[in-house]
Amino acid sequence: MASSQPFPSGPPRPRPGFSPNPNPNPNPSAAADAIQNLQIGRPPPPSAVPGVAAAPPFTSPASRPGPPPAATSLSRPGHPPFASRPPPSSAPITSNGPPAFGLGAPRFPPPPPASQQMPPVSGPATIRAASPSAAPPQAQVARSFPGSPPSAHPPSSQPFMGPPPSSQPFMSPQLSSQPLMGPLSSRPFGGPPSSQPFGGPPSSRPFGGPPSSQPFGGPSSQPFGGLPASQPFSGLPASQPFSGLPASQPFSGPPASQPFSGPPASQPYTAPPMPFPGPPTSSSPFGTPSWQSQAQQGVPSMVSMQAPPRMFGMPPHTPGQTMASVPPVMGHSPLAGHQVSTPSKIDPNQIPRPVPSTSVVLFETRQGNQANIPPPATSDFIVKDNGNCSPRLMRCTMNQIPCTGDLLSTSSMPLALMVQPFALPHPSEEPIQVVDFGESGPLRCSRCKGYVNPFMRFVDQGRHFTCNLCGFTNETPRDYYCNLGPDGRRRDADERPELCRGTVEFVATKEYMVRDPMPAVFFFIIDVTMNAIQTGATAAACTAVSQALAELPEGPRTMVGVATFDSSIHFYNLKRASQQPLMLIVPDIQDVYTPLHTDLIVQLTECRQNLEQLLDSIPNMFENNRVTESAFGAAIKAGFLAMKPTGGKLLVFQSVLPSVGIGSLSSREAEGRTNISSGDKEAHKLLQPADKTLKTMAIEFAEYQVCVDIFLTTQTFVDIASISVVPRTTGGQVYYYYPFSAVSDTAKLYNDLRWNISRPQGFEAVMRVRCSQGLQVQEYSGNFCKRIPTDIDLPAIDCDKTIMVTFKHDDKFQEGSECGFQCALLYTTVYGQRRIRIINLSLPCTSMLSNLFRSADLDTQFACFLKQAANGVPTSPLSQVRDQITNLCINILHSYRKYCATVSSSGQLILPEALKLLPLYTLALVKSIGLRNDGRLDDRSYWISHVASLSISLAIPLVYPRMISIHDLASKEEDGSLLSATIPLSSEHINEDGIYLLENGEDGLIYVANMVNSDILQQLFGVSSADGIPTQLVLQQFDNDLSKKLNDVVNEIRRQRCSYLRLRLCRKGDPSGMFFFPYMVEDKAPGGLSYVEFLVHVHRQIQTKMA
Amino acid sequence: MAADLAGGGGGGAAAADPDGPDGVRMTWNAWPRSKVEASKCVIPVAACIAPIRASPSLLVLPYAPLRCKPPCAAVLNPFARVDFAARIWICPICFSRNHFPPHYAAISETNVPGELYPQCTTVEYAPPPHDAAAAAAAAAAAVPAPIFLFVLDTCLIEEELGFVKSAMRRALGLLPDHALVGLVTFGTQVHLHELGFSDLSKIYVFRGTKEISKEQILDQLGLFSAGIRPGAAGPPGYPKAGLQANGLHPSGSVNRFLLPASDCEYTLNALLDELQTDQWPVEAGNRSRRCTGVALSVAAGLLGACMPGTGARIIALVGGPCTEGPGMIVSKDLSEPVRSHKDLDKDAAPHFHKAVKFYDNLAKQLVNQGHVLDLFASALDQVGVAEMKVAVERTGGLVVLAESFGHPVFKDSFKRIFEDGEQSLGLSFNGTLEINCSKDIKIQGAIGPCTSLEKKGALCADTVIGQGNTTSWRMCGLDRSTCLTVFFDISPSERSSQPGIPNPQLYIQFLTNYQNPEGQMRLRVTTITRKWVDGSANTEELVEGFDQETAAVVLARYISLKMEMEEEFDATRWLDRSLIRLCSRFGDYRKDDPASFTLHPNFSIFPQFMFNLRRSQFVQVFNNSPDETAYFRMLLNRESITNSVVMIQPSLLSYSFNSPPAPALLDVASISADHILLLDAYFSVVIFHGMTIAQWRNMGYQNQPEHQAFAQLLQAPQDDAQIIIRDRFPVPRLVICDQHGSQARFLLAKLNPSATYNSAHEVAPGSDVIFTDDVSLQVFCEHLQRLAVQS
Repeated sequence: MASSQPFPSGPPRPRPGFSPNPNPNPNPSAAADAIQNLQIGRPPPPSAVPGVAAAPPFTSPASRPGPPPAATSLSRPGHPPFASRPPPSSAPITSNGPPAFGLGAPRFPPPPPASQQMPPVSGPATIRAASPSAAPPQAQVARSFPGSPPSAHPPSSQPFMGPPPSSQPFMSPQLSSQPLMGPLSSRPFGGPPSSQPFGGPPSSRPFGGPPSSQPFGGPSSQPFGGLPASQPFSGLPASQPFSGLPASQPFSGPPASQPFSGPPASQPYTAPPMPFPGPPTSSSPFGTPSWQSQAQQGVPSMVSMQAPPRMFGMPPHTPGQTMASVPPVMGHSPLAGHQVSTPSKIDPNQIPRPVPSTSVVLFETRQGNQANIPPPATSDFIVKDNGNCSPRLMRCTMNQIPCTGDLLSTSSMPLALMVQPFALPHPSEEPIQVVDFGESGPLRCSRCKGYVNPFMRFVDQGRHFTCNLCGFTNETPRDYYCNLGPDGRRRDADERPELCRGTVEFVATKEYMVRDPMPAVFFFIIDVTMNAIQTGATAAACTAVSQALAELPEGPRTMVGVATFDSSIHFYNLKRASQQPLMLIVPDIQDVYTPLHTDLIVQLTECRQNLEQLLDSIPNMFENNRVTESAFGAAIKAGFLAMKPTGGKLLVFQSVLPSVGIGSLSSREAEGRTNISSGDKEAHKLLQPADKTLKTMAIEFAEYQVCVDIFLTTQTFVDIASISVVPRTTGGQVYYYYPFSAVSDTAKLYNDLRWNISRPQGFEAVMRVRCSQGLQVQEYSGNFCKRIPTDIDLPAIDCDKTIMVTFKHDDKFQEGSECGFQCALLYTTVYGQRRIRIINLSLPCTSMLSNLFRSADLDTQFACFLKQAANGVPTSPLSQVRDQITNLCINILHSYRKYCATVSSSGQLILPEALKLLPLYTLALVKSIGLRNDGRLDDRSYWISHVASLSISLAIPLVYPRMISIHDLASKEEDGSLLSATIPLSSEHINEDGIYLLENGEDGLIYVANMVNSDILQQLFGVSSADGIPTQLVLQQFDNDLSKKLNDVVNEIRRQRCSYLRLRLCRKGDPSGMFFFPYMVEDKAPGGLSYVEFLVHVHRQIQTKMA
Repeated sequence: MAADLAGGGGGGAAAADPDGPDGVRMTWNAWPRSKVEASKCVIPVAACIAPIRASPSLLVLPYAPLRCKPPCAAVLNPFARVDFAARIWICPICFSRNHFPPHYAAISETNVPGELYPQCTTVEYAPPPHDAAAAAAAAAAAVPAPIFLFVLDTCLIEEELGFVKSAMRRALGLLPDHALVGLVTFGTQVHLHELGFSDLSKIYVFRGTKEISKEQILDQLGLFSAGIRPGAAGPPGYPKAGLQANGLHPSGSVNRFLLPASDCEYTLNALLDELQTDQWPVEAGNRSRRCTGVALSVAAGLLGACMPGTGARIIALVGGPCTEGPGMIVSKDLSEPVRSHKDLDKDAAPHFHKAVKFYDNLAKQLVNQGHVLDLFASALDQVGVAEMKVAVERTGGLVVLAESFGHPVFKDSFKRIFEDGEQSLGLSFNGTLEINCSKDIKIQGAIGPCTSLEKKGALCADTVIGQGNTTSWRMCGLDRSTCLTVFFDISPSERSSQPGIPNPQLYIQFLTNYQNPEGQMRLRVTTITRKWVDGSANTEELVEGFDQETAAVVLARYISLKMEMEEEFDATRWLDRSLIRLCSRFGDYRKDDPASFTLHPNFSIFPQFMFNLRRSQFVQVFNNSPDETAYFRMLLNRESITNSVVMIQPSLLSYSFNSPPAPALLDVASISADHILLLDAYFSVVIFHGMTIAQWRNMGYQNQPEHQAFAQLLQAPQDDAQIIIRDRFPVPRLVICDQHGSQARFLLAKLNPSATYNSAHEVAPGSDVIFTDDVSLQVFCEHLQRLAVQS
């Protein structure tokens, strides 16, 4: 089975991101012991070991100019796959050596050596110029940084790497045969997790922070009370890792420090105007990393900078590269033996668990004309786009495409793409380049209309080109003609981004516009019913909007408007220079209209002052409002009508169930409760929209490019199932603050809004995914509106939104051919430029089932399952959905067991290495809010709507949250594992004297056990007993180390998740504590299995099937 | 004889108080006894009554009236026979015997209450409030507040809007402090301004395209008036209502929109300062979108939240046609002209009937609420007065039609309605008119600014004219000059035709309940008596009792109504026939000898009235737009006889050096080069300078001291014109023109074309001719004589 592996880059990928357990074994031998312990199911460990030996390490690195990505990763010593494979002796990194090593060179946060600093300054061009073979070791060090050309590394030049990089891929074979279980099985050499050097402290993440580093920084001590945006980090000690970071966050406005310790003077903010407040490059609509812009020196299009002379279709330079001959070994971990009846033999500490990755890896999307398998979505990596797109933008559930549909169905795995077209890049990545084809527009295949991409093959001296999607041969337009080089590539291929980059943006011509690109319109609608006023929701919304105004894109194209509503709708004419604003009330909520033709939506520059005043006075104005009815439907309709001529974003703050006017709803939850007999059977119906009114409205909104985001600041049932239809159809999203507390949620509301309007986004978008003949798109899923089968309409699309695209076979692929995927997104930037973003991915086709398993992408697949489950919840009973999900997991494992596992012992539960966490995630999913029986209707509906557009990197924590202890933060600092020392989600790991932080990207639960040292409480919360902590928690920063660390940790999480965690206090022995335990997914719960039990269950099921 | 007829021109109106002390004039002051006789009289038996005409001699009685027992319920009056000894009075109308109540105990031949003074056939009762609590409340509430709800059109050009604003500002300055004021502006949409909101300007916006019911409006405004109404409804409960209206209201009340003028003057002025023309775009080739109908609905709906019985008027300032929503009279497309009489005739006005129906419903709503719609239309084109007429007339509203909001016709008229004192129009609210009359008299209906209350009874005739089927009418708004025409039918019952008690007199009592401008409820009682004329032989008495002015006016009103109600009605022919029949019946002649024809002086100028009526805007509608016609007719129907006569037959005064100003013949022959003519055609007042006078004036002689007399001559007609204009509402258009000038057509159109281009060769120098084929009065009279004497 190993022989068929066609390319070197497909090592089994143990999940790098997590440490297996909090008490990692200090040495390999201990790890080995642990492995032994794991062999509950009559393990034949030795038999597996041979595999290791079988791995033919590929020892001629020097001859390979394009080593597999792992090989280049000098700089990512901690890359787990790497770590796990080399024999302990040869891999200092993986063995105990790492800690020191990890702290030494490659970590990002500490100021890199001078040579490392070089790349940002000199820019990619200079680096690329380096001939691949000539890169000096020093340069390699530098290569771990953004601009470094990975292809330039001869592996031999890696001085620090014990194991030749090439040896990496071959580690997988060993693993494949390993009978070992659990995470450790993937690292036979027993590198204890703690020894992983890669754990770059979270603070090193240079990107992806929520736009405002501000809120997370100082604010805790002075929460948002008019905190000037210009001093976001004022509260942070300068020594904190992220004090330097804001600058690296492309979207955070003011803070200007360079993430990589670049001197402030070199800050990007001095650069030409950028679409987003932060980043300066004009070539990319979204903040590109600052250093890049420096390198570009403001050159708008990167065409001239096409870097490395490496070509695409080119075969590997050297014959030595026959990586393909490497036996494609499957990694898998047999877990449980026959004796499932004795689960006690399973050591819960040894079963597979996510391991946090702590270091940044460099990932080249293609090497040697082969697609590389991307690192896990949840890990930290820097992408070098050399043909395939960044996996952030688009990744597939499997990195090899089955040649036939039968093969796919045998595997039971889903074939789907997760497309996140505006995903935030790592700041060190090269920005997406903009290509202007002038009048004629981008070159396209005349048959399938696919856009020109690196995989289109130019033939006939360049006079023709063959489309990689439909196979049609087109004539090359005269002005695009270029001779082919001796390698068969166009000579200009490397100068043209569209021919050498997986992702490019084309400037759209008139042909792509039905009208002038729309301005950036933001319309805020605020609930002023009595309830909203009294809970402080109105005030919070007004404050948030008022402060967020500063984050709106500058310039005359930014338009804003405000309306409020109770049982009628109040518009405000903001364009009255000298006068106070004029309130225009639309009382007809059955059949709404706009009260003015103009002046409801005004240029921000014209009305900023008026608007701020108005927002100030709205809470007072309605102070005595006694209206309890809410005309939400009418309000959004009215807002829509006001925006109809332009389109734009409608941001709605709502507090109570819409009760009057069009689209009014009834309190179905209460009705369902009183009607229990029928309720049980039909319970899922309550998760469907109450009627079609809102859907119809939403479709109309979408048609006119209006995107609706809804902020639910509520304390009651609001029927999210019905309401969420509007955001889902218009490309928006629901924010849910339940139960709303003016004390603790105001900050989150502001930050959510701020991120919402300042994150990279596009308007009036249309997206289509094309693929090579043989496959066809089956379905799109996400937040959009679909009017014709092939395209989806996205009134707005932003960096957080992911669209799932599933495929089915309509033909066969040839073994060895490649299947191309191309996502084309036509959109308008916030600055009014019309662009086409083209995202290309070309994956090899295989007819080997084992290849499919080896190249399976767990994170993507699981995100796919999650979305499928969410789609299923409203239409089928919960138990059925849970069964389906469990069966999916069982079927996949069964398929693997049946067709791929070499181990004959049927008594073992054998997990494919790539999917070894699938059971755990499946279990967690079954226990998640959306699939639990005991959830509130709205919680479940919110979960469903949240999941629909969720990115892969957030899908995982949503289901399997991250938990860390915080009472001992001070001691963790030393080993740099503030965030990496995650605790399994099992109550066994909760100590009575501990305080824990559990976060899933949305909520942050702070669990305070009942015997916590009062000193620690005093330090963290300013109170001496747990009872004294206010339930509506506002995390403050006190003047002590522990408190600072906690704030740092929370801020880091916020930045990673692009979300301002909703902190919630859970006290043991208090009702609030009950929120916490359902997250302990490994525990046995009423109606739910424990992790171990679940594994046993899965194993038994597989056995049944095998028999 | 023609000269004779003409010579009487204007003379009829010369009497000091032509309406007499009662303000009642009748076509016939002696009534034929039988139906047949009545129909032979040609001119219908009708009474014109000015219910609350100002009268210096009016006796106001501070107590409640004494009424006859039901169903008669007539009020004690001088015609009652009183038995002082028995303390009994006999109702002259129903002949019931009534005892005087105890508080009349002191009555005796030498001590009679005011209502029994023989000269006091008209008295007014000002009873104190019914009970002590109400009295105290009334005192506390001081004067109850009238409500003025302004409805402003904003689909105007800037200049016009400026005029509207300045007119509004002036009006606000004149409003009594306690008056409640509200503001609605409209264009494409309706804006209802909430004046009681201090934080910022707050406007309720209603869409212009959608018909909206009163309930919807109240609901959408958050007004729920029904629950807080005091028990007493209708005018008698007024004091309580007034209290409520002025008392402290919860925020849900209508007082958010209606504020005392003193409280909201600043707000309103600020609003006016900022008021812009309608901002919705108008496509090229289209009219602006104006939703007058919805605006008025909203205004009416808002007032619906007020207490019933609150005096309230909607003052609509409209600058163009309604082009959207209900009440639309023409489409937005400019290529579609506004309907003309011709279109109406041919039924080619697609929106007309729908619009009329809408305004009819609006009228019903307003009448139910007791509120008034005033219409000030100022535009060069039509605005839909013809459609809105029903709402204005039914509610007793005022109407003014002008060319521009900057024109004095609008400006001065608008100001008049807010003035008090001498110039006051005496605008009153909540009027009801009840009529009691002797047996044998049936009431057919009324023409004028009123609505039938559908109070049927024995006194109602089978045939209906105007607002009929009732003995009681509502006049939501009325003023000192308001005049109603009531048509009577004579239908003697079996019993009364018995010779038993030949009662020679008939009695009619008019009871007018109203709320005077000061806000107090009054009951004015007018009792009149006329005599019956028996038998066909006695034409002499009939002739003696004929009032030709009233007859002309009644006929004009009647024929206007018929023209509106009956399709293909040939008015001219009908008038001619009637006139011929009248002359045949009452003329003095030998059969088939035209030369022998003479008329009694009481009839003598009637043919001339008819001649002018035939030529007037009331009959010759094709010279006018439907809006103008509606406007003229509304005023014809509501004005006094004297004024209405002027509308039919203008008066002409001639000024010259040699003689004092003298009435002149309404004839082209009156034009002379050295005379100044002053024509009062009611709607316009024309000062016409003869050619010579004009030349002198142009040379500036009037400025030279030695030509003082000329200056005075020039000034005299101006002064007289000002006197006319000052007293008139709506203010007439003043036209000053010279002979042969273009404006001279305002005069020439009204003159008898005794000299036309056909007869031009005999014209004296300095005189003038009229270019027309119309017959002259002489020709008309000759024909009349000839036809009247035909056997």
